[in-house]
Amino acid sequence: MARRQQGILTGMPFMANITPRTFVDDLGRKLYLAKAPTRIVSLAPSVTEILFAIGLQEQIVGVTEFCDYPPEAAQKPKVGYAHPNIEVIVAMQPDLVLAPRAFLRADLLAKLEQLKIPTFIVDPESFEDIPSRIQMIGRMVDRSVSADAVAKAMKERIAAIRSKTEALSRVRVLYVLNSQPLITVGPGSFIHHIIGFAGGVNIASKADVPYPRLNMEAVLKEDPEIIVFPIGKAEGIPLGDQQLWRQWTSLSAVKQGQLHQIPADLLNRPGPRIVEGLERLARLIHPEAFAASVAP
Amino acid sequence: MHLSADPSSGSVQPEQPSIVKDLGVAPAPGRAGKVSASVLTARRWITVMAPLVGLSAALVLLCVQFGTQWIGLGQVIDILGHVLRDGSVESEQIGTAGVILIQVRLPRLLLGLLVGACLASVGVVLQALLRNPLADPYVLGVSSGAALGVALAILLGIGSTFLALSVLPLCGFAGGLLSLVVVYRMALSYGRLPIHSLLLAGVILNSIFSALIMFITSIMEPNRSAGTMAWLMGTLTAPSYPALGILACYLTGGLFLLLRQARRLNVLTLGEESARSLGIETEQVKRQIYLLSALITGAVVSVSGMIGFVGMVIPHAVRLMLGADHRLLLPASALVGGMYLMIADTMARTLLTPAEIPVGIITALAGGPFFIYLLVWRKDRFT
Repeated sequence: MARRQQGILTGMPFMANITPRTFVDDLGRKLYLAKAPTRIVSLAPSVTEILFAIGLQEQIVGVTEFCDYPPEAAQKPKVGYAHPNIEVIVAMQPDLVLAPRAFLRADLLAKLEQLKIPTFIVDPESFEDIPSRIQMIGRMVDRSVSADAVAKAMKERIAAIRSKTEALSRVRVLYVLNSQPLITVGPGSFIHHIIGFAGGVNIASKADVPYPRLNMEAVLKEDPEIIVFPIGKAEGIPLGDQQLWRQWTSLSAVKQGQLHQIPADLLNRPGPRIVEGLERLARLIHPEAFAASVAP
Repeated sequence: MHLSADPSSGSVQPEQPSIVKDLGVAPAPGRAGKVSASVLTARRWITVMAPLVGLSAALVLLCVQFGTQWIGLGQVIDILGHVLRDGSVESEQIGTAGVILIQVRLPRLLLGLLVGACLASVGVVLQALLRNPLADPYVLGVSSGAALGVALAILLGIGSTFLALSVLPLCGFAGGLLSLVVVYRMALSYGRLPIHSLLLAGVILNSIFSALIMFITSIMEPNRSAGTMAWLMGTLTAPSYPALGILACYLTGGLFLLLRQARRLNVLTLGEESARSLGIETEQVKRQIYLLSALITGAVVSVSGMIGFVGMVIPHAVRLMLGADHRLLLPASALVGGMYLMIADTMARTLLTPAEIPVGIITALAGGPFFIYLLVWRKDRFT
């Protein structure tokens, strides 16, 4: 829409195709798109959410089996996730494949390139990069206006949460990615970053890996004040496993009943809903900051 | 009479060459002959076992100091004294170090000792029963059954608790029992249990179940499949004391029953024909040993995942040192295996602190090279 108006204004409709339409993805690969793609395959739930958020539901022709938000996404044809079916992707005749870097096998990427299927890797390093990725996708598919609006709203919400939690004392947080054995998030992971933003401090900050298997001794020593369990259909911590944590009665979090749940999708998916995850986490960590803001 | 663990061995008569004395699993005339030429006497049993028991106890005291937080021996004794005096394990009395020591480190060390002992003992028994130096507790197919049970439970999100036990091990154990029955039925032919069919049935079932496990992890949400893989890699977590108690009773009971078969196992290594001609009910013995090993393995795998190499390397190492008389080899391997796993687990939870390494990786990295050493430089053990 925006493009056509610009073309009409300049009186040279063909200019639209000459405007910079070369995009660089998160692997540094250049992708030239002559026109806005109309058949898009998404290889990640987060990408699907971004596409829906900027109003591209019609253009999506394929999604992963974990794409369940918004509910309409689940109705779209499936291509697989960790092991996408290349034949299904080819049969969909996509003019753009948007893929995450994680779980994307190198041979699949090579095959897509060989088949001349335009493939673009979306891999924001931290959640603050997400708005800019949304804008990038918006430019690729000619939805700059709505993408910019989504990005702007996200940035504003992030800034609002930041201003509330910034000055507060840091609360020690344990995020239980997997309970048996205990796996948590460490520096270099998305959620570690979000915890810091929400006014908490991850007790696994000293670990050297993004997803450390944390020693129970270390948990007792660091003594988290709040324990957060992701919940959800496919990826949450079962309730029974959460209950088992109550046996550690010496933990501050257990003493004060600070065992909380958060929908895993909100934090795991680098998409537009990440701000909702951030806000929920911030509310769990600093309820006082948010209660105060509602009152006046 | 000192051989309390083996009622029948009161009859060991040093002056009469017992038939068991030269029955190495893979007798190496030159080398093993030297060791097992000394007939097993009660005295020798004691002189080997007593230091091993002492060493295990010392090792527990040593390992209990290492961890994310160093807890010196003095403090350990302090805390233990406190707990024994007051009977309280609340953090108000014993502090964080106390909780770490009593609730995390100690039960985990004991679990390591127990699991290591079981893996090594079952390894000894199966290497003898199957007359195969590569046998370990996992060849029975029970382990992959247990692993499949756990993977399914994780996929379906089952995770409630049952009698203070986490339900995951119970699912694992159920899977193990299922594959025990399947392997047994497959191997059984005309009322007999041929050893090669037992081995083949176990191996085949292992590969079928591994394929199913891979299928399950491939359709899982990636975060959760990472958790499943972490579980499968073999891991020791601190059990609650009731769970540890139940497990300890079950496993030591199993080990004791295995030990009672030691004498018959010695004869069985001669070959079934010879064993039968010496008056051993080979079918019955095989059946008992198979069932015991499978039941022990199922329980072990369901609490700790697949911890490789303990069950394969430790029996070889101990046999090399002590000879192949199972009355001594079995309990000695149990203790050595327990110590081995305890040391490996101490490294696993200390090296990358506060993160930890799956203990199966350490046992394999330490055990593999030893096995290569045996294979390359001690070829006589395998020929």
